[in-house]
Amino acid sequence: MKAPWHFMTGGDWLVVLLLLTSSLGGIVSIAAMSEGSRVLITCGDELCFTAPLDQPRTLAIDGPLGQTKLVIDERGARIVESPCPRKICVSMGVAKHTGDLLACVPNRILVHIDGSSGKEVSYDLLSR
Amino acid sequence: MPWNRPLIIGLLLVVLTLTWWRLQPDGEEVRRSRIMMGTVVEIMAAGQSSKTLEAAVEAAFAEMERLDKLLSRYNTDSEVSRLSQSTTGGEVSLPTVEVLTLGLEISRKSGGAFDMTLGKLKTLWAFDKEAPTLPNAAELSAALSGIGPKALSLEGQQLRKASPQLQLDLGGIAKGYAVDRAIAILKQHGVANAAVNAGGDMYLLGQRHERSWRIGIQHPREEKGVLETVQISNRAVVTSGDYERFFEQDGVRYHHIFNPQTGMPARDCQSVTIITDSVALGDALATAVFVLGPKAGLTLLEQFPQAEGLVIAADGSRHSSPGWTSYQVVP
Repeated sequence: MKAPWHFMTGGDWLVVLLLLTSSLGGIVSIAAMSEGSRVLITCGDELCFTAPLDQPRTLAIDGPLGQTKLVIDERGARIVESPCPRKICVSMGVAKHTGDLLACVPNRILVHIDGSSGKEVSYDLLSR
Repeated sequence: MPWNRPLIIGLLLVVLTLTWWRLQPDGEEVRRSRIMMGTVVEIMAAGQSSKTLEAAVEAAFAEMERLDKLLSRYNTDSEVSRLSQSTTGGEVSLPTVEVLTLGLEISRKSGGAFDMTLGKLKTLWAFDKEAPTLPNAAELSAALSGIGPKALSLEGQQLRKASPQLQLDLGGIAKGYAVDRAIAILKQHGVANAAVNAGGDMYLLGQRHERSWRIGIQHPREEKGVLETVQISNRAVVTSGDYERFFEQDGVRYHHIFNPQTGMPARDCQSVTIITDSVALGDALATAVFVLGPKAGLTLLEQFPQAEGLVIAADGSRHSSPGWTSYQVVP
């Protein structure tokens, strides 16, 4: 008796491939759900900037020591330049999941990832 | 050929077409942020050519920087600082004339609730420093001496100060004016869809993703809460709130929006949001309405048919002008 795949045509294989791709996409989407949706930046004691995590940008944030440079891209948010003496913040790597935190204590800058509610942001910009 | 083969091929074509359509970008979008004017300024511009957009955004930032140098009281070389240091006033540039003309109009119509002569008072409270302080009565009295809308007059490009000690502060209007100018520069570069946001004072040009812009309004008592969402196009949105800069002493909250009559923080509102046709106007009106309180504030707005307002009173009650609902997004 022949195996079932001997009866499959090229179109059937294409359908199988499509289904597998869709399933893989679904799995990736579910995994991505633990990723945060917004970057919150605190300068000193104040929330000084928020931005969606899925929109690439480079931001220079002023602190008492000078400017800390933050990059948001497809990998997440990361500090790439800092005027602080030990550069611990630069070596902290990428923050992208809800609750992840980057901090430059000498320059009093905190970057954390929010989105734990799982709710989609329903606005483009916030007037505050 | 099996009967279902054309069906399968047809379905596959539909799926591929939909996938291709979804993957196509709507056009280019440039989004840049800079810290200037004491806040984060963000410009978003959408169009067909990222090169054109980049040039437009860069020119808009350059214009805002130019105006900041002209109108900031923190820059000792600015025109505003020069006027504050002079005994009688002097000749001012055209942008300063525009800002002062609008500011004096709002000042007059609001009975002095909006005031550009609070430079000494703001220095006294030191909200822009690390440790703001609660002044005593004598200090307040000295800072309020000789101020008010009648202490300034403008004839052509000549500004006259009634008192040599009077110090200008255009903080309640200059940031908005700079946003308006940035939008004008973007338009000159052919940008039709953009947003310029200077710390929450913003103008929304055209559309975003083929719909009106959706703007969340900060809840005054919940740090991450949104009071409501409005949808607008070719309009300015400005919010002033007592939560932006404040300190607490003996259980009392002291914030940075002052009643010019007392020199103390205005007490009748938690936040005011204005939607109108220019950010400078929205900036000045938001301050004036905040100082006047919900009732008198909304009465003031009746003089400006192009403006709508949402006021959250000190007790948390919500008040709005009649046309506000036309902007609301129904949840």
